[in-house]
Amino acid sequence: MPENTSYMVAAYVITAVILVGYAVILYRRTLKP
Amino acid sequence: MKLLKTGRWITAVGLVLLAAVYVRALAFTPVERTQGMAQKIFYLHLPAAIWAEGAMILVGVASIFFLFLKDPRLDRFAEASAEVGLVFCTLVLTTGPIWGKPIWGTWWTWDARLTLTLLLFLMYVGYLLLRGAVTDPGLKARYAAVLGICGMCLVPFVHLSVIMFRTLHPQPIVIKPSAPSLPGEMLETLAFSFLVFTVLWVGFVIQRYGLSLVREQAEPHA
Repeated sequence: MPENTSYMVAAYVITAVILVGYAVILYRRTLKP
Repeated sequence: MKLLKTGRWITAVGLVLLAAVYVRALAFTPVERTQGMAQKIFYLHLPAAIWAEGAMILVGVASIFFLFLKDPRLDRFAEASAEVGLVFCTLVLTTGPIWGKPIWGTWWTWDARLTLTLLLFLMYVGYLLLRGAVTDPGLKARYAAVLGICGMCLVPFVHLSVIMFRTLHPQPIVIKPSAPSLPGEMLETLAFSFLVFTVLWVGFVIQRYGLSLVREQAEPHA
């Protein structure tokens, strides 16, 4: 396994956290506007 | 409200498709020979960057039309696009340094592309702070429109900075006058990822627009 795989994993995890996190925040805000 | 439901569904579809992008990028796209696995960050970094820049252009265009037409829908759209643009700009500024560290040997350098992207991020933050600071709805919309147009003027400098200045950041390999310099399979994965980021942008903006509309309708009118 190439040694820079951990950087790729970190970027993919952070991207998912930011996008899913924002989707959840928007959902909660729209429930109680 | 129908608009909010539509936005939620589009966002949900976008998030499911994002998982498909991960599977395609990691399992069905070849590993680049020199950069190794770190190059796969490209499939998230570039679509996020296109929408970070594209969202600010749309803020500026909507702001120009708002100053002439005074249509509140344009102001509402600009606000929604700015907030979603900030999310995508945050993605660019997190995935970029993570990619830069193994390839360049540094998380950050004050070169033109990186610095101007940070400025774009601060422009988004300033735009949203301004909207939060001004209470009068008419003034808020007008001041924000002027700042939105300034933000739009920054975008060409962000995009062309790698051509205008000597930078560590590579030259454009997809959005350029000649054909994209990327192998077919990688280009297809990138196109799919861009499509999914577009679906997410649309879903987020529709929800954010709907939220502003609901809040305005709930506010007592003077």
